[in-house]
Amino acid sequence: MKIKLTILLLSIFSLTTSAQEQKMTAAEAAAFKQSVNDVSKKIKTLTTDFVQFKHMDFLSKDIETSGKMSFKEPSLLQWQYKKPYNYSIVFKNGKILINDEGKKSAVDIGNSKIFAKLNKLIVGSVSGNLFDDKEFDIAYFKGKQNMARLNPKDAALKKYIKQIELTFDKEDFTVVQVKLLESSEDYTRIVLKNKVINAKIDDAVFTN
Amino acid sequence: MQKSTTPFLLISCFLLLVSCASHELTKGYATQALQKNTYEVPYFLNPQTDYVYKANISVYGNELSGIFIAKKINETTHRVVFTTEFGNKLLDFEISETQFKVNSIVSELDKKILINTLKSDFRLLLRSQYNISKQFENTENTIYQSQAGNKYYYLFTSKSDNKLYKIVEASKRKEKINLSFTSENNIFAQRIIIQHYNIKLRIEFNFFKPQSN
Repeated sequence: MKIKLTILLLSIFSLTTSAQEQKMTAAEAAAFKQSVNDVSKKIKTLTTDFVQFKHMDFLSKDIETSGKMSFKEPSLLQWQYKKPYNYSIVFKNGKILINDEGKKSAVDIGNSKIFAKLNKLIVGSVSGNLFDDKEFDIAYFKGKQNMARLNPKDAALKKYIKQIELTFDKEDFTVVQVKLLESSEDYTRIVLKNKVINAKIDDAVFTN
Repeated sequence: MQKSTTPFLLISCFLLLVSCASHELTKGYATQALQKNTYEVPYFLNPQTDYVYKANISVYGNELSGIFIAKKINETTHRVVFTTEFGNKLLDFEISETQFKVNSIVSELDKKILINTLKSDFRLLLRSQYNISKQFENTENTIYQSQAGNKYYYLFTSKSDNKLYKIVEASKRKEKINLSFTSENNIFAQRIIIQHYNIKLRIEFNFFKPQSN
């Protein structure tokens, strides 16, 4: 009974998704990729508010956290949670700087390949510059919004992330939502809003 | 006859005194007649509640932080998950007083000694009932003592509001783990600290206030 119900639900789910989104043709995908790359190339700095929803099947509600993200070329990144706690993490010169409610710590990631990849992934997710066919199997979809589903090829990365789903604004080709699926079908969904591109950001922002 | 038994009696009284002498923890407390045989812990009981906390773990000078989630999934079992602030799942356990299952754990944490320590800590945290063998009191607090083999549990409750604010796991002489609760309503603990004495491990949980917007 339980299995039947699951199959039924799954088929309804796949029906609804296929109704909303459709795989792009090769030509459409190429054009879409080009537009996203053109936009992301022009990004020198970026700040955005974000709301993060951690979804796990056994919970009655998603866990919601929110804050602000700042990025400056080539690889300065600050991810700052403001609610319900203050926690900020800066990626800078091969180091991770953490400020946890005022308690500061640093981790040297200079030689950690997985962290380098993770860093690239976070920056790439937000800027849209993530269409690397060597790193991911990528499928493109159109519908109400455009979407790319990326499956990591790297075995180490695959352990943490099964799939990355990027949703793009139809008008300006910037990322509006990042969904990170874990192997167990649980996911983290990050909604980006109030995006500001190429405003001046002081380096001091990335000191933590 | 009378003469020879006196020293013997004295010695046995002395021995009796020594063996009755209370644990350091109950020093200054008076032994009381048992009022109940079992103590029901009021925390982590509601199967409808997602118990979500910001977690800070300090282990041998290393700091680790993340999000701790516990939820009662059936009569006997809790699901316990620890994630990073970004949401990556680090470990996922199912735990009851007698059963334990690792649903997943990242390879960096997949060490037997660590899993066993967390297993017993979480078991202590989520345990819902104790059989009481002794009871102590002073003007402010009542302590319930429970014993299981060579392990002793001391449950500290305040008399004024009847709140359970501390559980100490101890051997016959020594404190092993101190688990303290800060609670406003004695149903939900806003703040929890698990302090180990035999290893350098301290775990702090602070309740995750729901967002108002």
